[in-house]
Order: sequence, then structure tokens, then C-alpha cells
Amino acid sequence: MKKEMLTGNAAAAWGVRLAEVDYIPAFPVTPQTEIIETLARWIADGDMASRFVTMDSEHSMITAAGAASATGVRAFTATSSQGLLYGFEMLYAVAGWRVPLVMVNVSRGLSAPITLETDHNDVLAARDSGFLQIHCETCQEVLDSILMAYRLVEDERVLLPIIVNMDGFYLSFTREPVEVPNLERVRNFLPPYQPKHAFFKASQPMAQSVTALGGSLYSYFKYQMHLGSQKALEVYKEVCVEFEKEFGRHYDTIEGYMLDDADYVLVMTNSFSTLGKAAVKRARARGIKAGLLRLRLLRPFPAENIQRALTGKRAVAVIDQNISVGKGGILHSDVASCLCNEKQRPLLFSFIGGLGGKNISPGEFEFIFTELIKAVAGEAVEPSQLLYTEEEWQEMVRLKRIAGKE
Amino acid sequence: MLMLRVRFHGRGGQGAKVASRVLGTAAFLEGYYAQDFPLYGAERRGAPIAAFTRIADEPIMERGVISEPDVVIVMDKTLLRDHQAKPLSGLKKGGVIFINTPQSPEEARAEYTIAGQIITLDLTKICLDILQRTVISSLAGAVAAKIVGLSEASLKAAVEKVISEIVTDSVILEKNIEAALYCFHAIPAVELKTTEAVQMESRVFTMPFEPAAISSPALNTTGTTVLRKTGNWRVFRPVWDYDACNKCQICVARCPEGCILVNEEGFPYVDYENCKGCLICVEECPAKTLGKEREVHAKADSEEVIG
Repeated sequence: MKKEMLTGNAAAAWGVRLAEVDYIPAFPVTPQTEIIETLARWIADGDMASRFVTMDSEHSMITAAGAASATGVRAFTATSSQGLLYGFEMLYAVAGWRVPLVMVNVSRGLSAPITLETDHNDVLAARDSGFLQIHCETCQEVLDSILMAYRLVEDERVLLPIIVNMDGFYLSFTREPVEVPNLERVRNFLPPYQPKHAFFKASQPMAQSVTALGGSLYSYFKYQMHLGSQKALEVYKEVCVEFEKEFGRHYDTIEGYMLDDADYVLVMTNSFSTLGKAAVKRARARGIKAGLLRLRLLRPFPAENIQRALTGKRAVAVIDQNISVGKGGILHSDVASCLCNEKQRPLLFSFIGGLGGKNISPGEFEFIFTELIKAVAGEAVEPSQLLYTEEEWQEMVRLKRIAGKE
Repeated sequence: MLMLRVRFHGRGGQGAKVASRVLGTAAFLEGYYAQDFPLYGAERRGAPIAAFTRIADEPIMERGVISEPDVVIVMDKTLLRDHQAKPLSGLKKGGVIFINTPQSPEEARAEYTIAGQIITLDLTKICLDILQRTVISSLAGAVAAKIVGLSEASLKAAVEKVISEIVTDSVILEKNIEAALYCFHAIPAVELKTTEAVQMESRVFTMPFEPAAISSPALNTTGTTVLRKTGNWRVFRPVWDYDACNKCQICVARCPEGCILVNEEGFPYVDYENCKGCLICVEECPAKTLGKEREVHAKADSEEVIG
């Protein structure tokens, strides 16, 4: 198998091409645009047989993608940040239709102030919608996850849409070696989508997503979505085994790095996990039993896997690349909820890192490990905090002076 | 273990991103692990951008910006005095600085008071001569490939691969290869004497509270844009021939920056500190009395307030 240098965006486009998607409604937004540009070029050149339609907004785009999915074709779309929020109400609608749409989100911090760089407030805003979520660390994983995503959500036991997430710039525009699988092997793993449940066609009229006045009716549909999402954990395991059989690469719901014998653990997601792994390696070299747990499948939430991975550890720091304003890190709460009934639960810290693409320096990782060690020795566990370096603060002081903020 | 970090500094449109890809591809084709990555704000031709290439003999466990490069490639020398770009920041001891300039290394060292190994070459002139344009991506990629010690064959294959993904015109592709190979041979081989950096320890702390009067993203001052001298964005400057100029003022009306003024005699003149060199005035002059000259002298940003 030959590798080539591809950006995360190009890897995503290859995933869509190999999945032989039928319909792609599109709307540009930085840093996602390269995905749809690449697909548009391939379709124009005759390399792909998909139908590509430019839409007037993300709201229409997500509607069109979901509606196409409801007719039984394989659909794809992609967005980012403000675009995801602009189409937000349709996320809930499309999930409620129980259609297997695959959407890529390229993470970018939300305005205001406006930025182009990455954090996960956009994709995590969609966490309650019914869309499943896979978060990727590498460009290879982006391509592979798109193939796995179709296989997972087209399964009769699931039938919910899914977001495959990657970091803007740090993955979307970063080139690294990626293996592009052979189309025949992809077809072995991902057969054509042939829906058996009700879907739109002229000879078989149906109404989709009817009104459900009355709480007991509404509750039934919503809770079935939740159970379908939970069922996806079981299906995901099968998909994972099948994928490894065909392509030799293993992607569990979570990934442990030097985790088995670790006492002090970082919990991270997406491309910044690479920085966390390097920090774990450095800490190990200093004699600290450090490890890292990367969360990959975030919805459905793999609570049991996380419980097993973290129970018995001495102290854990969840590094959230997001902020729930007024609460703190979003994933910290999720992780805490699946550990709180464990007798052997670790001390649990919350750090906010990498907001708007801010680097997490080696010094910050060191600070975090030091805090964990001190807490195990009896010092207090501090509340959620965002770390800053002296240089970053001095730069902010300088800019505030220019802005007349003294 | 080998790990080399190269940082490119250019202006939007010069090809810094593609230069980082030429280098990354050359390293990858030579059997190394490679990673390349650009960083820029909202697209603005002429504005400072940076791009990064990492080359290693084992999987790369780094991402994002390179703060301590072994090699810095300065594609526009006016960036050396840019307070935001800071192209030389963090360069490792024993590292190499390449500057795109007609100056000799000694002249550049004296003008910018730079320590360290300096290599210079006028990439823009070579590019104008061979390609009749100022997009120097292949040329900058080529000098970087030479500095890090990659082979000519890898460079040639990388330029072919990367440029053919961007342009379909085979003549442009051939000329890119020609220009790249010329630059590869025009600079001397060097020895990189950097060692693995010891991270400078910086104090880390929890961000404290500041009231909204300070912490809202608002500017309470006017005139901050004059602190950015966009005159450095120029490759060419517009020049008037007052003997032929009939004072029609069309250039004044067409200037998108509003930086063409009129003197007491009614002749147009430009504020070169802010003219971006878009040359719309040259294009629009009905009498064709406006010409263009290659810009070779850096204008310093104002030394006050910023920095």
C-alpha cells in the first residue's frame, strides 16, 4: 500500500470518493472549503459520479443532505464553526428523521471574537442533537473514519446521522503521510446502501417526521433515538473488527497511550492529543508514570470503556479544548459522570487548553502533571482553570495597551 | 534521532505554503517522515504568512507552529522589520537563515544585525527572469531542500508533484523546475549545527479575572491601522512621469486604498508608506504615463508604539 502526503481535508475528500457517495450539497466555510473544492473538481473531471449542488446556506444544505438521505441515497456534506451553528435547527430535525447522513465538521472556534483557528465549541454544541460523533487525531484517521461512519450509521440497528470531526488548520491544512485504500477493498468493507425501512420513492408514498403532539408520543420517538445511539456502541465494535480485518488499522471507541500502568492520566481529544502523547513520553523520561486516554467516539458516549480505563488511576486531568461559559470544560463533566459511582475513582482535574488554537506548551503539561502529583499527596484539587504562560500574558498586556485598555 | 524544523515567512501570494509543501514532499520522497502546515489569517495578498515543515526519521509527535526552528526561510526581507511576523524569533543556536535579497550575506548581517549563518539569493529576480512572475514557492522550497541536505532528485520530483497539482500548464511546470534547480545549485551546501532544543522554562499560571471594560474585544483607540505600514506589501511601485501626465486624476479615483493624493500643482503622487503595489493605477492610466519599478528597499515599520 502506497502512502502520500495529504491534508486532513484531502483525506476527507478521499474518504467520500471511496465511499462512492451519491449526493453532495455544499456551502463553503473556512477551514472546510478545501473538502468541497476537491470533490467538485473530481466530479467535474469525471473521477466521481456524484451529484454536487451548491446551496444558499448551511441551513438549506443540511436539509438537502438529510432529505436526500431519506430517499435512500448515500449523502455527504461538510461544514465548520459558524456554518454548523447556522444550520443548527436542522441537525435535530435530520437526526429525528433517522437517516444515515455522514457530515464532516472541521473544528473552528466560535465568534465573538472571531477566529479561524481550532477548538471544539462548534461540534460539541451539536452533542445533544442525535448525531453520532467521531473525533480524529490524524489525517489517516479522518479518511478511515468516514468509511467506518457510513458502515456504522447505515446499519439497520442504528440509522442516525453522524459527524466526523477534525481540527481546523492543525489537521485540515496539515499534510502528513496517508494511505489511500484500494476501491475494491473499500467495497468489500462498505457495500452499497440499500435501505430496507420506509424511504421516499414515487411508487411508495409516505410521510416522514409527522407531528407528535402529546408528551408520551414525543418521548417514545426521542428515547428510541437515544437507545439507537446506545445500540451503536455494540455495532461500532463490530465495524471496528471488520475494518481492521480489511485494512489492518484498529480504531476503538477510545485510545490508550502508555495507559495500562499509568498513575497520572491526561484525557484529550482530536489532534492536540499528539502533543499530549509527546508530553506523556517526556514525563515518563522523568520517572512519572504518565499516560493518556484519547476519546474518539464521543456520541454515543463510551462510558463503560472510559470507566475501565480510568478506574484505579491516582489522578486524571481532562484537558477540554472547549469552554462551557459559566461551567468550564464540557468533557470533564461527561468523564466525571461515569466515574462518580466507582469506589476506586481517581482525583479528577479540569483544564481548558487549546482554545482558539492556543498552543499547549511543554511547560503547561508539566504544570498539569505537577498539580496531579501534589493532589495525590494531599493538596486540594483546584477548580477548572485555563493556563497561560508569562510570554502570552505579556503579549496580551502589549495589545491591551494598543487598544487603549489601561 | 533526526528532527529538523523549517519555518517559512512570506507574504500572501508569494507561495510560502506551497514552498513548505515542496520541502515536505521532497523529504517524504527521500524516505523521511514529513509534516507541513501553513498559518494565515483571513486571506490577504501581501499580508505576512508563515508555513512550517518538519522532517524526521521517526513518526512526528508534534503539531502546529514551530517556535524554535533550525532553519528560517525569509521570502520577503521587509518581514525582518515586521513586528508581528518576527521571522528570526526562536531560531536555534547554530541554525541557518536564508534571506531573499540582492544583498550579500555580509551586507544583510550588517543591515539587520543578525547573528548566525546567513545565506542570501535574489529569488524574486530569478523568478522574474525565468517565470516572469513573483510566485517564488518552488525557489524557496529549493533553497530549503539544499540547506537541510536533501538530494536534487528528490527536489525535482517534489516540484513536479506539488506544482502539477496546482497548474496544468506544462510550460509553467518546466520553468518552476528550472528555477528550483538553478536556486538549488546557486547556494552553497551548509552544515546545520543545531542541537535538540532545551525548552525555555516559562512561568505558567491560571488566567486571572479582569472586568469587561478591559476584557471585551473592543478597541478604545483610533488610528491603530496607521501602525501597520502596508507599503511593505509591494513587489513593484507605481511611478509617475509628470512630463506626460495630463492630471486627469483617474488614478486618484481608482486607488482602492485612497493613498494617491494630489500636490499643489495638481499632479498625483502616492503615499509609499501605505501603497500596497496593486498597480490598478498603472492599469487604469488612460495616457499610459504611469510605470512600475521593482521594489528592493525595505521600509521599516514605525518604531514607536508597536514592539
